[in-house]
Amino acid sequence: MTAAACAPVQRTDRITVAAAGKITSLDPAEASTVGALQVLSALGDPLYSLSEQGELEPRLASDHPRISPDGLTVTIPLRRGVQFHDGTPFDAEAMAFSLQRFLRIGSLSYVVGGRIAAVEAPAPHQLVLRLSRPSTSLSGLLTSLNLTPVSPRAYAKHHERFLHKRFVGTGPYRLTHFSEHQQRLEPFADYWGPAPRNTGLDLISLSNSTALFGALRSGEVDVLLSPSIDEDQRHALHLDAQAGALQEAVGPASEIGYITLLSRDEPLQQEALRQALALSLNRREISQRVSYGLRRPLYNLIPPGLTTETEAIWPDHDPSRARELLRGSGYCEGNSLSLPLTFRSNVPADRLLALTWQAQVKRDLADCLVLELDGMESTTIYRQLGEGTFKAVMLDWRGSYPDPEAYLTPLLSCDSADKSICLQGEAAISGSFWTSPGLQKALDESDRLKGSDRTEKLQWIQSRAAAGSAYIPVWLVAPRAWSSTKLAPPRFDSSGYLRLSELMRVRPNLGGS
Amino acid sequence: MGRTGTLLRYGATRLGLAPLMLWLIASLVFLLLRVAPGDPVDAVLGSRAPAAVKAAMRTRLGLDQSLPDQYIDYLRGLLHGDLGQGLISQESVREIINRTLPASLELSGVALVVAALVGLGIGFSGIARPEGKLDLAGRLYGLGTYALPPFWVAMLLQLLFAVSLGWLPVGGRFPPSLVPPDGTGFYLLDSLLSLDMTALKGTLRHLVLPAGTLALLLSGTFTTALRLNLRRTLQGDYVEAARSRGLSERQVVLRHGLPNALLPVLTIAGITVASLIGGALLIEVTFSWPGIALRLQEAINQRDYPVVQGIVVVIAGLVVLVSVAVDLLVAALDPRIHY
Repeated sequence: MTAAACAPVQRTDRITVAAAGKITSLDPAEASTVGALQVLSALGDPLYSLSEQGELEPRLASDHPRISPDGLTVTIPLRRGVQFHDGTPFDAEAMAFSLQRFLRIGSLSYVVGGRIAAVEAPAPHQLVLRLSRPSTSLSGLLTSLNLTPVSPRAYAKHHERFLHKRFVGTGPYRLTHFSEHQQRLEPFADYWGPAPRNTGLDLISLSNSTALFGALRSGEVDVLLSPSIDEDQRHALHLDAQAGALQEAVGPASEIGYITLLSRDEPLQQEALRQALALSLNRREISQRVSYGLRRPLYNLIPPGLTTETEAIWPDHDPSRARELLRGSGYCEGNSLSLPLTFRSNVPADRLLALTWQAQVKRDLADCLVLELDGMESTTIYRQLGEGTFKAVMLDWRGSYPDPEAYLTPLLSCDSADKSICLQGEAAISGSFWTSPGLQKALDESDRLKGSDRTEKLQWIQSRAAAGSAYIPVWLVAPRAWSSTKLAPPRFDSSGYLRLSELMRVRPNLGGS
Repeated sequence: MGRTGTLLRYGATRLGLAPLMLWLIASLVFLLLRVAPGDPVDAVLGSRAPAAVKAAMRTRLGLDQSLPDQYIDYLRGLLHGDLGQGLISQESVREIINRTLPASLELSGVALVVAALVGLGIGFSGIARPEGKLDLAGRLYGLGTYALPPFWVAMLLQLLFAVSLGWLPVGGRFPPSLVPPDGTGFYLLDSLLSLDMTALKGTLRHLVLPAGTLALLLSGTFTTALRLNLRRTLQGDYVEAARSRGLSERQVVLRHGLPNALLPVLTIAGITVASLIGGALLIEVTFSWPGIALRLQEAINQRDYPVVQGIVVVIAGLVVLVSVAVDLLVAALDPRIHY
């Protein structure tokens, strides 16, 4: 037990937290939505978390991982005295059970990318991971909530299948009621770490942005999480917070919004045209018009918080240069390029982005380029992305763990290529079909390097991607939460999850010393 | 064959045709879902999952089988009352329906009762003085509420009563700090059966806005229907005959006019019930009401084939049952009707 765990805790009332979207599964092997992972962050513990400085911090591990000289064996000492919610002791066998279960049935097991070849438990509190290749990003992966351990006893009948409606982990809360729209969490009396500051949490989901906005404004809920809040309402809440009527917490920006250009087929097979499109985009104006500046303009594929190199790699808005490139490709002066731009019709910000970019192009390059907007439901877009259906399409991405690799590999990795066209691999699945000689080798190497060598390699990769312009980073989205002023200010952790166990009501100061 | 026998034969024929209709609907839904773009595997795993992982999931979900094989499996399950398992949640479709249908029925039931009481009350109030102020107000109410866009009204009432005044909850079906009562899934009934007044109060508070909005929108139909039918009925020969026999206007209206005017209203109520069984989607979305329409919409977005198919078939079955029941009831009440 830590000293913090032993310290007396003054608990306050139950707290109601609202977010959009129902939760269909609390199985860490299945959970993929931000909402589900947010709940899991209160019910379970990962092996490690990130400190505010971005350093690895042991949680269920008792110390930092020890990596063998060849980089192929990782030994993780585990915390003692930890119990699952059902009383089962947490040990290496339990951790190995959970990891093996995730690797076997996990919907997102591909994020491991075949790096973990075997999981062993040589001692009761020692876990050993045998890797298929050295991996710098593995430490980031070990902070993933998808690797949260579950009780082998509670999941004995579910070691080969999901358990959606229950969760038995080691976290500060235990789950006492689950429905897709409502979850009830009670503090876990035998938690190894600091006890929650409230007497329990009621997590609810409401089906639309207006209801969420209204629920916080009316005081019906104490805390509101930002996903799926419309931009106008997000801005109104931000202004309320600035005026002191609410409190606002901002987490580390981990979601990127970007545009994918189909480089396999004409007309965007021409690199100059893709570059012209990148130059035609005024990110600052878009950020202001669409999100009142709350979505920050982005010029890299890697969120700035994950790399020490923060220099803008993609070029800024330059319509004159864009015109030159278009003219060089035979457009302008009576011959304009008509380009269909697809956006997700069920994502309001995408529609606004599309309209704003279309207006920018009409203002700056009317005789050279015309964007034809085409709204489509996201499920349909995802289905057809890898078939090369969309010339230009707006998407977003949030890495499964906080490491540059979780952003670059899903967009740029390519298993098989013909010159600069990716035939098979993530770049094809992503709909760009773009690659570059030496890019895959650089991606592989970057996961073996550390420190400034890695930063340099990542910068080279991004520079190549910027020159290829098959992706245009647009904006960076940080998670936000708003709470009533009757609560202590909410905070996010370094992985972007709200610290639910710290939520507490503050008693009004009635005077006196 | 007597009248009762004829009615029973009609009912049996209608019900006998129901399986054919359900088969047609089930087949159409099956086909349309497969033709529509989008893939449930993408909805679960996202587009970036490796092909091998996607293929494994497709096999696990039975989506790797040929379309005819999937169709035969589906029909076989349907014949055995097995609606399958949700692709996303892996929960039995029967359980999903058992959980969401009571929510929709409770909302619709309360809304219908309120709509009928308010709508018929307003429709009836103007009858004493046709073309008078009350009658005109009733006519305007009937037309106005019928023409109002449901989504707009719902949001307006939500902003007024929940956000600005804070009198009622913004959405949901039950207070988040309480655990819903166990039982039938009809929270009003379950609260009463368990004599849990806190749960009852919570349920009612959450029901007021969505049911009230739905009732407001439906009541105009009742107002207009009763008003028009009552006026026509009161001009009938038999009503004139009743008047000439010296009956008071009150007796004429209540004994002779109203019962006959209510018969078409009963048919309208039946149609309304049938349409509400599928849920009032806009109301459920606006008020985050966890009913069957909201679940159906989510399932369509996720391309969760078994859930969509199951919900549509169950709704279709209920619509058939309700329409047969209403036809039989109207025929039983109105001796002029023959089948």
